[in-house]
Parts: sequence; C-alpha cells; structure tokens
Amino acid sequence: MRTTRTVPAAAALVAAAALALTGCGTDAGGKAADKPATVEKQEKGGTVLDQPFDKPDLTLTDTRGDKYDFIEETKGHPTLLYFGYTNCPDVCPLTMSNIAVAKSKLSKEEQKKLRVVFVTTDPERDTPEELGKWLRGQDPSFIGLTGDFDTIQAGARSLGVSVEPSYKKKNGDIVSTHGAQVLAFSPKDDKAHVLYTEGNTDPKILDGELPQIIKGENP
Amino acid sequence: MTPRPLGAAARRSLAATALGAACVLALGACSSSSSSSSSSSSSGEKKGSAETSGRPELKVSGAYVPQPPTDKMAGGFLTVRNSGGKADKLTSVSTDVAGEVEMHETVEQQMRQVESLPVPAHGTLKLARGGNHLMLMELKHKPVKGQTVTFVLHFAKSGSVTVKAPVEATNYTPEK
Repeated sequence: MRTTRTVPAAAALVAAAALALTGCGTDAGGKAADKPATVEKQEKGGTVLDQPFDKPDLTLTDTRGDKYDFIEETKGHPTLLYFGYTNCPDVCPLTMSNIAVAKSKLSKEEQKKLRVVFVTTDPERDTPEELGKWLRGQDPSFIGLTGDFDTIQAGARSLGVSVEPSYKKKNGDIVSTHGAQVLAFSPKDDKAHVLYTEGNTDPKILDGELPQIIKGENP
Repeated sequence: MTPRPLGAAARRSLAATALGAACVLALGACSSSSSSSSSSSSSGEKKGSAETSGRPELKVSGAYVPQPPTDKMAGGFLTVRNSGGKADKLTSVSTDVAGEVEMHETVEQQMRQVESLPVPAHGTLKLARGGNHLMLMELKHKPVKGQTVTFVLHFAKSGSVTVKAPVEATNYTPEK
C-alpha cells in the first residue's frame, strides 16, 4: 500500500517539475525574441580575403532544366555567388535585389561580363521552374541552380558558407537556411577574393564596388 | 479497484505536498532566470501584479512591405513602441493581401515561426531586415511598389491596431 501511495506523489512531482520547465522554457524563448535583431549599419563594404577561395565544383541544374557546370560556365567572368531559397521573405530577396539594382547601374559592357549565380539551399521546393520564376522577378539574367543538396552543401562549405538541409517541424513548417555571405570571384584567376556579409550588400556599397569586382580588382 | 476511502485522501495530501514543493522550486527557477520581481507572474509575463501598474501604450510606425519577387510570399516590417509601464505582446497579424501572416524570428540564417513577439514595457519591438519579420503567405495578389497593404496587429492586452504599410522596392531598407 505504501509503495502505491508514493507513486501518485512522485507522478505529481514529475508533472509539476515538467510544468516548471515548460514555464521557464517559454520564458527563455520570450527573452530571446526580446532582443531586437537589427542589422548593424556597416560602412566597411566587401571583405578582402587573405586566402582566396577556389570555385566550388557545383554541377547542378539551371532554371531551364539544363546541366550547369559552375566552374566551366563562369570561367573568366566576374561572378557573384549566393546561397539562398525562394520561400524566404526577407534576406534572400533583399540580397538578390541589391545585386540587381547595383547591376542595373553598370555599363552595358560591364553587365555583359558579370555572372550572378543563385544556388538554392532548398532544392526540394526550389525546382528549376520555381527558381526561374523567382529570379525573373529580380533580374532575368540571374542564373539559378538546383540539384543534389549534398553537392550544394559541400560546395558552400568549401567557401566557408554554412547551410543546413531543410527540415519539417511538427507543425508542418519547413525551415531552410540561407548563406550569410555573397562571394565575388575575379575574372582574372577565377578565385573569390571578396565576400559580402549580410547587411553589406546595400546599394551604397555594391554600387561603388561592383565596377572594381568586374575588373578583377579588390575594393 | 483501489481502496478509495483512506488511500485516496492520503494520496491527495501527499500529492499536494509534493506539488507545493515543486511549485516553490519552479518559482525559484523562473525568477532567477528572468529576474522578474513579480511574484504572481507566470513565467515573467508580469500580468495582474499590483507593482507593475499602468498599461501598455503602443504606437506602430515605419511599416512597409518590400515588393516580393513572385506572388508566393512577401515580408512585412514595422516598429512597435511601448511608452507604457506594462509589457504587451503581438499575438497575431492579419492583412488584406494574404490569407495567412506568420511571425518569425531569425536565428543563424534560419527563420523560425514564433507564437508571439514581446513588446517590453518602455521598450520597442522591431521587425527589421535580417531579424524579426512578418511572413505573408497565400497572397491574393503580388503587392507592387506604390500600393498599400493594411495590417491588423492583434496584441494580448492592447487589442487590435490597424496600420497602413506602403509597398516599397524589393531591396528597400529604411535609413536608421
């Protein structure tokens, strides 16, 4: 009898402890969201890399459904590379739009040389059609690539860009990651000498630096 | 099945004692984690306490919607200032242009849906580029620059606030 009596008491304790945990958990969550996450204003522009990155081996599918070999296709062209996804309401369209606006201010000659490549981090949802539709909304010349996630992640990793596979939460939300930086490859040696972190792609910076990137110079 | 008359009573008292002890623990843990001084608070929400008198005084400003690349989804940004002595929270948002509006925070390049966003007493809730934002889904049409989107913001204590948000260029970022 005594043993059975302690069971509900222990159960109550466990339940209460669980409640306590839940209470504190939501509290901590609230506190985390409490801090307004704002983009710091930085005037420093692109970061010149001491160790330039080689172009990643990304052979994927473009928005027309054709095979696209990133190294081969962009050889000798000034190239901007960004990893993101189209179900992204904020940073991905902002980054690509900043590039589109800066590109539109270049001369025709400069525009012709530049390659802008958007590689999806969410290949399951970003089919060639979806990618194409989204990129045409920004600039029809932008190249969109999709394909095997492991290939994409390995390519990103070789450039110091961390992306995680999309996953579905219990409530059905799909969580995807975008890269935190745009890489600028030189037409001279096909290496990335410059990277632009988030908040560093605004027109004030890119408008001024893109012409140098196209010449293969460091800003 | 179980011997009710005595056993149940004994169980209840035991359970109540255990629950009481656990509650004290819980309060202790919560107050140390949130440094909330309100004893009646449930996890730092500071509701219904005498010492946190006053009420939230909210003012919404700087709302805008960047023109999205497609009609699939759009983002929304705004600032809520609370000049009152009591915290509030944004619990949901509705709009004329989308079937659904989610509230998101951004953590390490991933956005996460949240149930609510806090508006601290004498503080600000900022929905800004790279951080918290609204995600408009099931768009009825693609918002185009020059148009206006109407948001109805629902707060836990202050009720509903309607704001008009101009649609700006896709890469619009307000000057700070």
